Amino acid sequence: MNMSETGRQWLHNLITQGQILPDQQLDWLDQNRQAAWQQMQSFELPDRKQEAWRYTSIDRLIKYNFLHTSELSEILPGTEIGEWILPDNSSYRLVFINGHCVPRLCNIQGLPRNVAIGCLRASMSTDGEVIRHYLSNPLFKQSSSTARDLFAALNTAYMDDGLFVHIPKNAALDRPIEVLHLNLAMDNELLILPRHLVVIDEGASATLIERYVSQGNHAYFSNNACDIFVNGNARLSHYRIQDESAQSHHLGRVNILQGADSNYKGVYLALGGSWSRCDIDARFSGKGAHCDIIGLYTVNAKQLTDFHLNVLHNHAHCSSRENFRGIIAGSGRAVFDGRIVVEKHAQKTDAQLTNKNLLLSLDAEVDTKPQLEIYADDVKCSHGTTVGQIDPKQVFYIRSRGIDEAMAKKMLCLGFAGEIFDQLDLPEVRSFVEQRVQNNLFAPQGQDVH
Amino acid sequence: MLQITDLHAAIDNKPILLGLNLTVNAGEVHAIMGPNASGKSTLSHVLAGKDGYEVTQGSIVYKGQNLLELPTEERARQGIFLAMQYPVELPGVNNMVFLRESLNAIRRARGESDIDAVAFLRLVKEKARLVHLDEKLLKRSVNTGFSGGEKKRNEILQMALLEPALAILDETDSGLDIDALRVVAEGVNALRSPQRAMIVVTHYQRLLDYIEPDYVHVLANGKIIRSGTKQLARELEEKGYGWITGGAAA
Amino acid sequence: MSVLPQDIEKIINSSYEHGFVTDIDADTVPAGLDEAVIRLISSKKQEPQWMLDYRLKAFAHWQTLTGPVWAHLNIAPIDYQAISYYSAPKSKADGPKSLDEIDPQLLETYKKLGIPLEEQKALAGIAVDAVFDSVSVATTFRTKLHEAGVIFCSMSEAIREYPELVQQHLGSVVPYKDNFFACLNAAVFTDGTFVYIPEGVRCPMELSTYFRINEAKTGQFERTLIVAEKGSYVSYLEGCTAPMRDENQLHAAVVELIAMEDAQIKYSTVQNWYPGDTHGRGGIYNFVTKRGDCRGDRSRISWTQVETGSAITWKYPSCILRGNDSTGEFYSVAVTRGKQQADTGTKMIHLGRNTKSTIVSKGISAGEGQNTYRGLVRMSPRAENARNHTQCDSLLIGDQCGAHTFPYIEVRNPSADVEHEATTSKISEDQLFYCRQRGLSEEDAVSMIVNGFCKEVFNQLPMEFAVEAQKLLSVTLEGAVG
Repeated sequence: MNMSETGRQWLHNLITQGQILPDQQLDWLDQNRQAAWQQMQSFELPDRKQEAWRYTSIDRLIKYNFLHTSELSEILPGTEIGEWILPDNSSYRLVFINGHCVPRLCNIQGLPRNVAIGCLRASMSTDGEVIRHYLSNPLFKQSSSTARDLFAALNTAYMDDGLFVHIPKNAALDRPIEVLHLNLAMDNELLILPRHLVVIDEGASATLIERYVSQGNHAYFSNNACDIFVNGNARLSHYRIQDESAQSHHLGRVNILQGADSNYKGVYLALGGSWSRCDIDARFSGKGAHCDIIGLYTVNAKQLTDFHLNVLHNHAHCSSRENFRGIIAGSGRAVFDGRIVVEKHAQKTDAQLTNKNLLLSLDAEVDTKPQLEIYADDVKCSHGTTVGQIDPKQVFYIRSRGIDEAMAKKMLCLGFAGEIFDQLDLPEVRSFVEQRVQNNLFAPQGQDVH
Repeated sequence: MLQITDLHAAIDNKPILLGLNLTVNAGEVHAIMGPNASGKSTLSHVLAGKDGYEVTQGSIVYKGQNLLELPTEERARQGIFLAMQYPVELPGVNNMVFLRESLNAIRRARGESDIDAVAFLRLVKEKARLVHLDEKLLKRSVNTGFSGGEKKRNEILQMALLEPALAILDETDSGLDIDALRVVAEGVNALRSPQRAMIVVTHYQRLLDYIEPDYVHVLANGKIIRSGTKQLARELEEKGYGWITGGAAA
Repeated sequence: MSVLPQDIEKIINSSYEHGFVTDIDADTVPAGLDEAVIRLISSKKQEPQWMLDYRLKAFAHWQTLTGPVWAHLNIAPIDYQAISYYSAPKSKADGPKSLDEIDPQLLETYKKLGIPLEEQKALAGIAVDAVFDSVSVATTFRTKLHEAGVIFCSMSEAIREYPELVQQHLGSVVPYKDNFFACLNAAVFTDGTFVYIPEGVRCPMELSTYFRINEAKTGQFERTLIVAEKGSYVSYLEGCTAPMRDENQLHAAVVELIAMEDAQIKYSTVQNWYPGDTHGRGGIYNFVTKRGDCRGDRSRISWTQVETGSAITWKYPSCILRGNDSTGEFYSVAVTRGKQQADTGTKMIHLGRNTKSTIVSKGISAGEGQNTYRGLVRMSPRAENARNHTQCDSLLIGDQCGAHTFPYIEVRNPSADVEHEATTSKISEDQLFYCRQRGLSEEDAVSMIVNGFCKEVFNQLPMEFAVEAQKLLSVTLEGAVG
């Protein structure tokens, strides 16, 4: 059987495997699911002839028969999460295992009144109206999740649980929200479909730290989606750390809508996983907003990491900075596709896109595509890309001071990544990330990276 | 040469100048001083005809004609020169080419013929010496990658070359170290002549130690509130603008 | 300063200088394309069997293809059966032997274009081959070139006179299966230029071809092949114009360059095909495949283009850097105004060690023009120490236009070094005010700033062409103030 037949069969299994849960109380949710399910039937399987998948083949996904389960069968009593979380009481913590919230591991003590942090499923009964309002936002419909492709529609069709955050007007949250997405890959080839919603209301501010990690050595596929609304004059600092096992497959989508004068800072780290891709989509609903999207990817062994970034400047006087750095070792492969679109009326847009890559080995590979699409004339836009290796002169200089070559390279790599590390404001997070970057890049050959 | 009568001007409907009067005759040097945001730069820009400024009332008569009717380049051709506070960079536009095009445009307006290449080269080199401008900068793009001091000297070089009837120096001293300030001032002084008038706009008295004005005017709240000789500038330096603007408010 | 409406109007209305039609008795085959037409073209040109076979093979393949849709262009569907694939000025059967035999009206046409064909009046040191619709009408300075061993003639003549050279190289850089338009060209190409520089020869003068489409409803499908043997050097220029016509006309050319060891080819284009009227009616569809093969070590190919014409431009002059230490260069100025669209750029395929490439692209958009840079830099696993530097700048004039940048960078070798920079800006109000305060008119100021913006590219053009390009740019952007 050739690949395209395999693919078709795989797609068929994917579509027909599960039952969409009808929800007695929430017609709108059912309608959304049904609509997505219908759309899913009409989508083709992504292939490399499609521009959005030009450098990212899904052949690796097709090898597995991923199965979706809507219930969490059993959490091993000994599940240990200490290694991934901040010290107690320094954050509001939520833990999701295989996409489902596990209350006994959460800690949201002292949460201010009116602030909602919890799981989407439970919040449907308490905050149903807010959730309905935002998940049906027409501004989002064209670009986001459902309409775009097969995997997005798949996520919506099975939309059930995930993170829900709602910070009310003018509230400034005192501690960061910490969310651990733990994927337990104990036996079968799991398909995990979490759906998250984050709403920061007018004038409010919050910090959100998300970590995707895994335990176990089986393959799984996390196909997650996150809708973020940063309303007028609101602020969100968002750290998304994806650091999973060598058998993990991860497709993440983040859709951001920013109101006037709002500020979104996103720090995206992709440190581990067999096949991982993250699509980030940002757009505006008012003037004067600023968007900062920073990222670091380290790729080793046979990993593939892909970032697709799409920033749509559709309002005047907004600014954005996109700055991604990548270190590629082993026979790792990195894809970066960044796009800034400035619409006709978005005068005075100020946007800069930067992507820098460091190749450490002969088999490493990078494909980068920074794009500008500009339809307004009074704008300041630029992009810059580099691909290079560690400068031998710098290595020599360090060695001449008595430091061995491996250490010299490590120092230079960490220096290269330093600009991104500096954006990690919490010291615990920063030291964890630095450690993980070192392990990923400099673990002895052949050893599992996790 | 120049009569400004009851001038009111606004940017984006925000009134800046509120009834300014000033008369400048050939051979005179007028200093206009004032605190930040008093309207000094607005006055310079209105005189040079920059877009975006709306004159809502009053008149400006230059050499007997209504200046406000003339487009920017026409004013330049009639002898108005503005040395800018922030000279603009023109990437890719060669400084020599720019200077020659500018000089020829003004010569043509005066009814003279275009200057030939050899004479031009000689002239530029002579003027460049006057302001101690490195000849290498002549071959580069206009103001691109120039230091602050180099840009200001390039402005004075242009002034020397174009021989204006009325030169307006807009905060030419800002950001200059003491040596650069002296060089620029020397360049300006060399251009003083009975046929030429100058308006020196500055925040600080220091520049006036080098370029001695015949008259000093204090601009505040969109009007000239006090006029005098260079003695006025010294007093301002000692007592600060509060001394005089406070008086105006009373 | 806001855009002055009367200026925008002026630029939109500024007319196309080369839009005259020459009334000449032409031998034109009826519109349509099938095997019979191809056989007819081939027999009219008295081609050998292998050439006809090649054309037929290409045609058979073309019928299986569909036009590309990936470009950032809005193209009305093209009816390939409505085009005439062959048009030649009726003249003596064997084509002109010398300038005396050429229809005087044709000579007049070229004079209007500013290209005197009479040898004595020709620009000093430039040999000209002129292609009118489908055929080459005159090649100047043949004797002098012949003495140096340089072959410079029309493609039809080359197929007859130097069949083994043509057969060896034609299609070796751009195979007929390469893409839709190249395939069509391989089937129906009518004429073009052939240049051969023998080993060690430095071509004693600039070679130049002027292309002109005259007949209505014809397409022009010329084919250019330049072979530079070991250690040789040639500089080649092409210029293009077409009359004003209401319907779109198709120009689908193929250019192949081959540079052997230590050889250098410099290829410059000033493209000024008719761009269509203010409503986007008419104009040339310029769908061209240009590719150079740096086959030998230390070879060097540089493309310089100034693109101001055509309704739609779709071209990516590329370099395959096969030889070690070979160098590829691409310098481009592309201007779109009115309703013009351009999707242009380059591909630098680094295969050999220590290969270097430089890309400088300057896009200027005015009116409702859409200007896209699309480029590929590929560093293959063998391309040790390969280097690329790309600079890609866009200048916007007016708020109805667009500027887009789509670079693709693929790196498979850690020792490769790739740098890409792109900026987008407009002529600032402050720059215009500054120039006007120094007595320059707004138009002179714009033209000065635009020329400054393009300088890096103009510097690459031979002197006569640089002057022409600057003039062309000023005319094209007349009154465009933003």
